[in-house]
Amino acid sequence: MLENYLPILIFILVGILVGVGSLGLGYLLGPRRPDQEKDSPYECGFEAFENARLKFDVRYYLVAILFILFDLEIAFLFPWAVVLDDLGVFAFWSMVIFLGILVVGFIYEWKKGALEWE
Amino acid sequence: MGFEKFLFYVFAAITVLAAGMVVTRRNPVHAVLYLVLAFFSSAALWLLLEAEFLGLVLVLVYVGAVMVLFLFVLMMLDIDLATLRAGFIRYLPLGVVIAVVMAVQILLVVGPGNFGAEQFPTPAAAAADVSNIEEVGLLLYTDYVYPFELAAVILLVGIIAAIRLTLRRRPGTKYLDPTQQIQVRKGPDRVRLVSQVSTAGLREEQGARDVAQSQEDGSA
Repeated sequence: MLENYLPILIFILVGILVGVGSLGLGYLLGPRRPDQEKDSPYECGFEAFENARLKFDVRYYLVAILFILFDLEIAFLFPWAVVLDDLGVFAFWSMVIFLGILVVGFIYEWKKGALEWE
Repeated sequence: MGFEKFLFYVFAAITVLAAGMVVTRRNPVHAVLYLVLAFFSSAALWLLLEAEFLGLVLVLVYVGAVMVLFLFVLMMLDIDLATLRAGFIRYLPLGVVIAVVMAVQILLVVGPGNFGAEQFPTPAAAAADVSNIEEVGLLLYTDYVYPFELAAVILLVGIIAAIRLTLRRRPGTKYLDPTQQIQVRKGPDRVRLVSQVSTAGLREEQGARDVAQSQEDGSA
């Protein structure tokens, strides 16, 4: 089984090599003449007056966590879809119950207006 | 076996180094990026254990989704590094004591001797055509159907808890409601016909006066 993943390993190694190689060559060969103006932070010509780390609205968090929960649901669907022919009715209904429980959550989410972006 | 072992040590070393960087970086965003690296190399370790489906799901769910959530949380918290660092020396002895106690507990509970790993020989490597996702599916939806349904309940609790904790109405905001937009009727809601007095006569008078004015200017 593991031999199937050898091309991926080689791909990762080549990717790292290309990334590190181009950056490293630029670092080694490029001219560097820093001065104070070059190294100072700038913001479209005027002085930087704010921290770059803005506070986010908590609504983004809600969207992200709802995405993760349904993402996990999809992860459970993959093996089920592959072996459904071999397992038959029992596995079918176990997944129906699984999805039914999550549909309860989905209806709650919809009715509460968590998907609205007001 | 030799090459596999070599790969295991490479990825294990990357995982340990990345995990160490996660807890020592000052900048929390850098710590999260090192956590991504740790997840990637853990996924590679799971692949070496021939748990390929779990390894890929680790990348998909943790790197793809959970890390985005972590970054959002970091951005939301507005962490003040100076207050975080304050009191480091004061709490250091207590922290060291707790860390040592936890390390001893972990060693006692999950130490290598507790599982009797030597009684279970290493299983033979799976053939190239064995599908890991099929093996998982054959067990998960039959023998482990009860934990599987429990997972659904935990996800449901997660949905409801997230909504209860973070959802709040903002009555003052101005936004377009698409359902109201598409309910607009063609006649009375879109076009308003205003009956107005005709201004044609007024315009003719104005025009005649302008002509007279220009003739006066020309003769002068």
